[in-house]
Amino acid sequence: MQILVCLKQILDPEVPPRDFQIDRGRRAAIQGSANLVTNIFCENALETALQLRERSEGEISALSIGPASAEDVLRKAIALKVDHACLVEQEVAGSGSHSAITARLLAAAIRKLGTFDLILLGREAGDWGAGQTGGLLAEELGLPFVGFVDHIEAADGGVVLRRQTDTGWEKVRAELPLVATITNSEENVPRIPKTRDIMKSHRKPLTTWKPSDLGLSEEDVSSAADALEVVDLYIPEKTGECEFIQGESIEEKANAFAARIAAVVQRAGV
Amino acid sequence: MILAAANNAAGNAADATRQVLWNISHAWVMYALLVPTMLIFGRGVYRQVKKWRAGRPVQRFDRPGERIKRVVRHVLLQQATLRDRFAGAYHFLLFWGMITLTIATTVVLIHHDLGLPVMQGRFYLYFQSLFVDCLGLLAMVGVAMLAVRRWIVRPKKLVPTRESTGLLVLLFVILGTGFLLEGWRIAATNDPWGRWSPVGSIVAAGSLAVANVETLKSAHLFTWWFHLLIVFGLIAWAPYTKLLHVLTAPLNIYTANLDAGGGTLKTIDFDNAPSFGINSLEQFTWKDLLDLDACTECGRCTSVCPANTVGKQLSPRDLILDMQHLLDRSDLASVSGPADADDDYEPAFPVIGSTAALSPEALWQCTSCAACVEACPVSIEQLPKIIDLRRFEVMENAKFPQTLQDAVGSLEERGHPFKGTQFSRVDWAQALHTQGFDVPTIGDVQDPEVLLWAGCGGALVERNQKSTQALAQLLSKAGVKYAILGREETCTGDPARRIGNEFLFETLAQQNIETFRTNNIRTVVTSCPHCFNTFRNEYPRLGGEFEVMHHTTFLAKLIGEGRLTINAEATEKITFHDPCYLGRHNGITEPPRELLQRSARAPLIEMAQHGQQSFCCGGGGGMSFVDEAPDQRVNQERARQALATDAETVAVGCPFCTTMLEDGINAVKGDREMAVKDIAEIIWESVSGGVDSG
Repeated sequence: MQILVCLKQILDPEVPPRDFQIDRGRRAAIQGSANLVTNIFCENALETALQLRERSEGEISALSIGPASAEDVLRKAIALKVDHACLVEQEVAGSGSHSAITARLLAAAIRKLGTFDLILLGREAGDWGAGQTGGLLAEELGLPFVGFVDHIEAADGGVVLRRQTDTGWEKVRAELPLVATITNSEENVPRIPKTRDIMKSHRKPLTTWKPSDLGLSEEDVSSAADALEVVDLYIPEKTGECEFIQGESIEEKANAFAARIAAVVQRAGV
Repeated sequence: MILAAANNAAGNAADATRQVLWNISHAWVMYALLVPTMLIFGRGVYRQVKKWRAGRPVQRFDRPGERIKRVVRHVLLQQATLRDRFAGAYHFLLFWGMITLTIATTVVLIHHDLGLPVMQGRFYLYFQSLFVDCLGLLAMVGVAMLAVRRWIVRPKKLVPTRESTGLLVLLFVILGTGFLLEGWRIAATNDPWGRWSPVGSIVAAGSLAVANVETLKSAHLFTWWFHLLIVFGLIAWAPYTKLLHVLTAPLNIYTANLDAGGGTLKTIDFDNAPSFGINSLEQFTWKDLLDLDACTECGRCTSVCPANTVGKQLSPRDLILDMQHLLDRSDLASVSGPADADDDYEPAFPVIGSTAALSPEALWQCTSCAACVEACPVSIEQLPKIIDLRRFEVMENAKFPQTLQDAVGSLEERGHPFKGTQFSRVDWAQALHTQGFDVPTIGDVQDPEVLLWAGCGGALVERNQKSTQALAQLLSKAGVKYAILGREETCTGDPARRIGNEFLFETLAQQNIETFRTNNIRTVVTSCPHCFNTFRNEYPRLGGEFEVMHHTTFLAKLIGEGRLTINAEATEKITFHDPCYLGRHNGITEPPRELLQRSARAPLIEMAQHGQQSFCCGGGGGMSFVDEAPDQRVNQERARQALATDAETVAVGCPFCTTMLEDGINAVKGDREMAVKDIAEIIWESVSGGVDSG
């Protein structure tokens, strides 16, 4: 089975709240002192692929779109022994916020890389949390799509996917090829690479392309760009007010308290 | 008077001696028997020496002066052994008794076989007769105490084995028959100098009361050969038993690691090492292998192990003994040269998981407190071996507890082990700023006197920010020209190293050393003993040479120089918890006590286990990142020890100890109130004297 896993490098979601800054004009987060890490759901996707390869024959390719620093996430994937790795080097517009452009670029890169049975992505990225890229990529490639998958088993030339829903799990039998987004579960906790493999990962080959190598016309990109626009970006301000309810007796206080809650709720339009 | 009378009756004391091999014919049989005895003995010793030599090289014969001092202290004076009073006492008696008896036998050899007449005159009377007899008796007392401990007291740390029973019986028989032989000889020969051997003369008198001289002569003849066979038998058997420690213990003590306890972990040559970390016996150094054979099964390491104390699986003694048994079964010499560094490493004599004591679960219970190393009377280094094995699990197998993986992952991504912390490295300083107190960052200060190293524990854990703030305010109050690195600070690598990721440790260390170099930092003050230990003992090897002081040492210095004045003594009763990485690993136990004595009214209260024998808070070695079973928490055990005193406050000097003890005390205190404070907080209260900072 030929598996392709898309990996996204994001700003460390664990940056302490007081350190998190945005550029409202550019409608983008500012890196500041934060580190760049592999998106956790992408790591779950890679882990799912590695387990699948252990259970049945196959190869794994890792693909990332992002600035030159995104090489790190691919090196880490190489240390975890993916068979091929490819970086489409691009300062992504809006720091990776544009799922439609990303999906179009990914689709072009995937077509150029070869044919794959299974294309896995994280269910969403820890920076924008849009969760759009997987579905859009399936659309671009004209493939079926299953979202929120936490387990995949090869079966009769196809696969059985287990997906999380609000009420439990669904098992889906599907023909290949297909696109799936992966969510976390107890089973796909990302493994860590062996030290020797980390050291060796820097000597392994890595394919690097520019978007212009993907054979897309300007119109292809701009039509994707038109599909979505970030209108505004801001950090919600948390404010607090403290008010003491007055009253002689406990009943009086309780009544005043209830009335106050009702007023606040009404004002908030709930 | 009696002796003097005996002298007169026997003639001149200068002529005193005895006939060797009286009553013995065919003495050549003894010499003939000696040959196989020594061959079997030699084979036993050589077999082990060959195994040790299969280990990797390490320099342990430098600094002979210090090493000889160590041997005097721990072999001749038995200082470490004597810490356990009862066991130490009988071992001391047996040790010096057996040495004296061996010397006496050597005197006979020189006198009789080499024909140098040394065994005569006053030397014969004072040493060979009186002194040797007394020491022999004391050795008998030692054997009796040993028997009482093994068979009646039966401490939990002793594991009864047939071998130890056998050795005990043999020692008793050898000493007992020795006295019988002496007594019967005195009786049968009517030895005029017999009274110089008090035990012998009592045996002689007693024997003559029940038997005649001829009977005693026959009994002597038979017993002499029996005694000889038993002695030769014991000599031949010794190297195959734990009695081998008679040779290995002094050698092991001589070749001990002389570095501070906190600087004993090995470095790894990442370009050439066949494996990162160790999972096969031949990967250990010869000293590690010698360690295994030096173990006397005394169990002191396990009895002081905090993990073992709270009922966990880890037992340093069993870990060493299981490896010793593995060594016994393994032919280390059969291993061919080092494997190609690019191949997947296959251990020839796998260690990890081979027994329960060597299971990964046990390895991941160690707090790296080194109480085991400190307690060992024969200088065995359990901790570096545990870390060697952990390294293999982490770097070669990439298998270790998830919470530790999270800590390591966070170190890799963010340069600190506190995954999920809501704080940045400068929040504590910014909070002070809002109160009108500025903490200078390195760029703001020209040529600072000291760098204040907050450490991850001091900056990123809310509770400890108060301690760090107190320390900064103290430095400012004392007029110290200091600065912090702020966001440039990154973990020293201590948790990475203790968890076993040596590669990450080196990366972080080199990064810090570079930062220090760029900022021209010469002196560092830190409140974290883990950072302190790593700077002091582990950075020099990587090229990081600078002075580092624990804040308690530095504050004691500031008070000593009059730069800080205690305005209001603390009124509460205080006990001090020694952080392992300050006390045991670096021998610093006095400065914090000095500080507390100066700043508190009541005398300092000591817990039963304190100073270098302190009991770990449970947070070292990465263990503060591990969820312990609710009924097996080391911090709660230490909290109980603190609560057993009548102190109202536990003073600490470590951010990890602070949080571990606070959690522990809150869990087990019941109605009792007990505060946990960093010494910096206590001193700041005393110095600011209730006056607000500024």
